[in-house]
Amino acid sequence: MALRLTIVALGLITFGSALSAQTPAAAPLAAPTGNAQRGKTLFETSLRCYACHGFDGQTGSPRLVPMARAEDVFLAYVRKPATQGMPSFVAIPEADLRDVYAYIRSIPQAAPNADSVPLLKGVLDRRAKAN
Amino acid sequence: MRPNFQEAIVADKDDNAGNGSLDRRDFFKGAALGAAGLVVGGQSAAAEAPPIQPAPAVELPTLAHDLAYAMPAQASGPPPARAASQGRPASDFMVDVIKKIGFEYAAINPGSTFQGLHESLLNYGNNSAPELLTCLHEEAAVAMAHGYAKASGKPMLVIVHGTVGLLHSSMALFQAWADRVPVVVIVGHNRNPSGVINRPHSAQDMGLLVRSFVKYDDEATTLERFAESAMRAYRIAVTPPMGPVLLTVAAELQESLVNEVPRIPELTIPAPPQGDAAAVREAARMLVNAQTPLIQIAKLGRTPKAWDLLIELADALQAPVDVMGYSSWQKFPSWHPMYGTGGRGYTPDVTLGLEVTDMSVQARAARASGRKTISISAEYLFQGSNIHDFGRYSDVDLAIAADAEETLPSLIEEVRKQTTPERKGVIQARGKQVAAAHKELQLNSIRDARHGWDASPVSIPRIVAELAEQIANDDWAIVSGHQFTGDWQRRLLNHDKPYRYNGDCGGFGIGYDSPASVGGALAHKKFGRLPVAIVGDGDLNFSPGVIWTAAHHKIPLLFVIHNNRAYHAEVMIIQRMCGVRGRGNQNAHIGNVITDPNINYAQMAKAYGMYSEGPIENPKDLAGAYQRALAKVRAGEPALIDVISQPR
Repeated sequence: MALRLTIVALGLITFGSALSAQTPAAAPLAAPTGNAQRGKTLFETSLRCYACHGFDGQTGSPRLVPMARAEDVFLAYVRKPATQGMPSFVAIPEADLRDVYAYIRSIPQAAPNADSVPLLKGVLDRRAKAN
Repeated sequence: MRPNFQEAIVADKDDNAGNGSLDRRDFFKGAALGAAGLVVGGQSAAAEAPPIQPAPAVELPTLAHDLAYAMPAQASGPPPARAASQGRPASDFMVDVIKKIGFEYAAINPGSTFQGLHESLLNYGNNSAPELLTCLHEEAAVAMAHGYAKASGKPMLVIVHGTVGLLHSSMALFQAWADRVPVVVIVGHNRNPSGVINRPHSAQDMGLLVRSFVKYDDEATTLERFAESAMRAYRIAVTPPMGPVLLTVAAELQESLVNEVPRIPELTIPAPPQGDAAAVREAARMLVNAQTPLIQIAKLGRTPKAWDLLIELADALQAPVDVMGYSSWQKFPSWHPMYGTGGRGYTPDVTLGLEVTDMSVQARAARASGRKTISISAEYLFQGSNIHDFGRYSDVDLAIAADAEETLPSLIEEVRKQTTPERKGVIQARGKQVAAAHKELQLNSIRDARHGWDASPVSIPRIVAELAEQIANDDWAIVSGHQFTGDWQRRLLNHDKPYRYNGDCGGFGIGYDSPASVGGALAHKKFGRLPVAIVGDGDLNFSPGVIWTAAHHKIPLLFVIHNNRAYHAEVMIIQRMCGVRGRGNQNAHIGNVITDPNINYAQMAKAYGMYSEGPIENPKDLAGAYQRALAKVRAGEPALIDVISQPR
């Protein structure tokens, strides 16, 4: 098993938060130009972006939604990531990446508020009472 | 000197006793002579060579023929019953020794090299203390013992077949070694084997096969030595630093008849070493006077006593406790105010490591910035290791070679003694800041579970949160590791008892979680606790037969399969490598994903006789599945839920 390597790599990937859309954009983003349906197929079955970011771009690390990067900034980043954990997608046609971007933008961008989820509210309350 | 191949064949006269139509020795001799003749013929003048005659038809050895060697009794009718006057089976005495040590269970996969001991355990020992656990793979047997030892504080006995069984068990022995967990293994050894089946089960040096990762091994050649070696093996296994041990026992010795047996020695376990008083005093001085101390723990918690002692120390110092990562037993309450690393910006000026195997990174960083490190660990008493799990050289400022758990009382006493009223004020102020920072971080980390809350496949935090809700009123225990579930179980469940979590594998190889969880669950059974294991699909496939073992022995346990249909970490690794080399990502899944066809673990569990549900893809279906499966577990049965999960 190459799990020791795996742990190191996971750490690197976790640190690779540069793609994350956590930084708020200064201005509203322009509408995507690609085909979101085709982007979903690429995301899930060809480029397998889900491997690190989750099928909805929400459960992995870094999270892809809400996406705050403009389309061209996204393309430039994916081709030349600023982190070792992120694969460099230099060989992917530009149209494919635009489709992937369109798919990410099509995912509901907001997660529910934790206090509005009864199960999580229960955990939060129990933790708050613990000390 | 070892005979060469042909000499060995000629010398093996017993092989042909009772054989039927073909004398195998003559067959091989004939073949050898024929070959020699061809060579000689090749060196002669071709003209002088007689014409080559077609070889006569020969009957090749059959399986029945080989079985006749391996089991001559079956081949020629039942063996005659032995008269009591001939003596008592020596393996009965071995059972007396095993019982005196106090093993509750012996995990086995059967093998003829321990048939004498096996029979004695059943008919002389009444299959009680130890009770045999039928395992479908020796790796599973040892991993069960690994999980059981951590949950119960007691080693389990494992008995394996000569060479083949031992080799099957080797990976799990390695994990126990790396995790510093005691397991006692007996391997049968046919020292004078006859027949092609038994010979490969014999070895010149049986222990050599696993010596890199057992703490002690010995071969018992007499009953007196068996008794002493068994006691010694157990003692060595449980003395810190703990580890697995191996005792090789000749089949001939097991099956011999004896009229007199030696005395069984008493089992004396040495008191674990405590830290030197002066060194402990100095450690306390450094910690009391630190501005931002940090306590780090790894293999701390041989007994539940360590849990309370560590809370005492953390409270006395108001110092954060970092339970570290996957290699740690994590014996500190997850919602305690001091659980964490101090919050953002908290840079420790003194770091205390308790049974932290490798403090080299902390020590180097501290030395580079004028900070200090202290290490209390039984690791310093290690005699040697072929495995590099001890890490790099740690040049800490103060190293104390001692069992940390045993040293904690004197360290706590010294800390209290040296805490002046002035320092007490500083310590209390720090504690308030640390507690507030931890609380905020932990509440935020719980809120993070909302991301992908309704996603399908199901998110890991959703899997854990739904579970937390269902077991909130149970006395639960997570008996699997958390290598592939992140830290969600510690975030969403209050680990407020030492048995809430059983730690990871130790050696970072998969195949541990599923069998170790069954072993852990077995340890909790007599306390009526509710064990839960969240294991990966990749892990379960290494020892799926453990499902049957849990069902057969009615070990209550909820298996939740985190089924992301891949060796998912490796998918990411290969994707990254594809990226580094700029060759596209299109092939990264090959060799890493477990799809086409998808495996249905609920059906697998049913095939093994376990209640199961799934595959579950919609998170809204989880609550009901948990309720039905947990009802089975609370009633004393194992159950399995197969959840199609997000990759990470």
